[in-house]
Amino acid sequence: MKRVTRMLALLLAAVMLLPLAGCGSSDGKTHLTFQIWDVGQRDGMQAMCDAYTANVNPDVVIEVQVTSWSEYWTKLEAAAESNTLPDLFWMHTDQILYYSEFGMLADVTDLFPYAEHYSDISISNAQGSDGRMYGVPKDKDNICLIYNKEMFDAAGVAYPDDTWTWDDLESASQAIYDATGNYGYMAYNDEQLGYHNFVYQNGGCILTEDKTKGGFDLPATREAVKYYVNLQSYDWCPSQAYFAETTPGTAFFSGKGAMFLEGSWNLLAQMTNYPDMVGKWDVAVLPAAPNPVSGDGRATISNGLTYATGAHGKNLELALDVLTYFAGEEAQRIQGESGAAIPAYEGLEETWISAFDKFDYQLDLENAIMSQFDYCVQYVNNSARPKWKSGVVDIMTSIYNGSVDIETGLDNIQNLINTETAKKLADS
Amino acid sequence: MGKKAVRLSAAARREENWGYLMIAPTIIGLIVLNLWPFVQTIYTSFCEHLGFGNYKFIGIGNYVEMFQNPEVWRATWNTILFCILTVPVGLFLSLLVAMMLNAKIKGKGLFRTIFFLPMVCAPAAVTMVWRWIFNSDYGILNQIFGTNINWITDSKFVMIACAIVAIWSNIGYDAVLLLAGLQNISKSYYEAAEIDGTSKVNQFLQITLPMVSPTLFVVMIMRLMSSVKVYDLIYMMVEDTNPALTSVQSLMYLFYRETFVAGSRGSGAAIVVWTVVLIGIITIIQFIGQKKWVNYDV
Repeated sequence: MKRVTRMLALLLAAVMLLPLAGCGSSDGKTHLTFQIWDVGQRDGMQAMCDAYTANVNPDVVIEVQVTSWSEYWTKLEAAAESNTLPDLFWMHTDQILYYSEFGMLADVTDLFPYAEHYSDISISNAQGSDGRMYGVPKDKDNICLIYNKEMFDAAGVAYPDDTWTWDDLESASQAIYDATGNYGYMAYNDEQLGYHNFVYQNGGCILTEDKTKGGFDLPATREAVKYYVNLQSYDWCPSQAYFAETTPGTAFFSGKGAMFLEGSWNLLAQMTNYPDMVGKWDVAVLPAAPNPVSGDGRATISNGLTYATGAHGKNLELALDVLTYFAGEEAQRIQGESGAAIPAYEGLEETWISAFDKFDYQLDLENAIMSQFDYCVQYVNNSARPKWKSGVVDIMTSIYNGSVDIETGLDNIQNLINTETAKKLADS
Repeated sequence: MGKKAVRLSAAARREENWGYLMIAPTIIGLIVLNLWPFVQTIYTSFCEHLGFGNYKFIGIGNYVEMFQNPEVWRATWNTILFCILTVPVGLFLSLLVAMMLNAKIKGKGLFRTIFFLPMVCAPAAVTMVWRWIFNSDYGILNQIFGTNINWITDSKFVMIACAIVAIWSNIGYDAVLLLAGLQNISKSYYEAAEIDGTSKVNQFLQITLPMVSPTLFVVMIMRLMSSVKVYDLIYMMVEDTNPALTSVQSLMYLFYRETFVAGSRGSGAAIVVWTVVLIGIITIIQFIGQKKWVNYDV
């Protein structure tokens, strides 16, 4: 009996020690970690990393780790504070100014001749307040209209195209609601996938050109936000209470609604996740503002992620070398072909479309997504954004639930952005 | 006498030192993991967080701002309301369940297991299931009653919905604690009462309640403290674009949003300190109140 116990104890000790074995790189190679937040892009990212090992530096092995978006930033900030950042990680436009301002990110300006291969929007998404680059442009995206073909057929309405304006959006929604009883365009409380697009289409802005003030005092902006919020008063649009329980995507793919705005980065996942729906829906450019205060009424919000590394990482040299590879054509092509995202590298956009070849039905990506890059608007950002972002969401929520009237609400948003931005500018 | 005491204390001191050594791991753990962060939190509440652990001392600024913020008062009221809704009802139901489980019924072990199960499930998973139950369009609750109530998005119902989930999750645990208290009551009291012809209701009021009151008191304190700290349940039930958020946002949820979403750790820490004060006040009231109803003379 005693021997059995002793053996069990030994076994247990061995099991406890097992994970430690992984710590030493017994294979003589350097192991780097690469933190991302989108599980849908894991395979594409791993393919890039494996290509680096195979083609550039066989002594480096990179492991991709996924943390969900909601936990990603809490975790990354804690890691930055204790100087234990992953060797490589994704950076988002919301956060890059904050991280670079505190010197957390390595300067990657001189790694690559970015200007030759990347658009101005891609480059400025990767810049800190000082104009240096703190991330390598990864991808670019924009927002499109996705619609249910069967519902349009049932209502006898022509599919959305580039002649559409907000008025067509409304009349088609009404027709579909009357004919099928399903919701038309689902306008929910969202910025990037919601009212920001409408604001820029109408000639307004969220932040002024120099990013020092909000644009919520402009008639064009106010009109667009009011228009957007007011869409929920139609029978064909669900209320915000509905969206709190059911996202527009869920409603759309369970056949409850005909249209909503979707980011290009979600399309591949939706083709994969809803195989029964393939062929029943398609994508189109965003409808234009019918009477814009300025401009031609066309706009879509375009954002782009970047690859970054910590400024004080212990594998900094290697990480920078990997980043140089990620900036190059080969890695960007692998990213595109895996369908992970549209490469930021100019001229490789089409590789992303090829990832959709495996489906029986081809989405109209060429017209809907690619053509929109001609008039897309850079995703909103300034260095004070972390301070005002959640406050603006709160005010929008209170506008939607009626506790604040929309005029006051818009004034409050303007004040909040201006106060926080001025405070930030005064500090730095 | 004095000499003897000193001599004894030398031996006692050695024993005492051993005692300290034995509890050292726990005490060190408490200091490092609980006490020191507590001190740090208080310090943080007097600072502004500039970013990545850089703090600027700003005195009582966070507190001034906090008490001028209607959202904080609203959250304080929501938290108190949540306690009022969950604690009395929860305790009553737990006691009821405990008494039923203490009675002579078949399959007692099975019932005890079933009632305790919610405690074993992850709160996040429990809440996700309840969200579907409460869903206004497809939820089973509205289907059964033929109603069309927006349980989690109507400001009038969202608090009740959260309270129901909280009570449901905790009944089992509280009932098991109370069951232990009930089983400590000697049968002879009830036998004596039977002989005297006391009714069941009177047996409950005169024997069961006073005898179980110390356990009940402990359970109540624990339940109140955890109700004041409610966070995960509401976080999972109500997202920040939910129009009913302000009607249910608790102090801890507000703390989370201040600290981790808005990044202002200073004002977040101030909210935590305010919550601690609140828990302190409630606990003091309870300890004063217990003299009136808790019976320790067994």
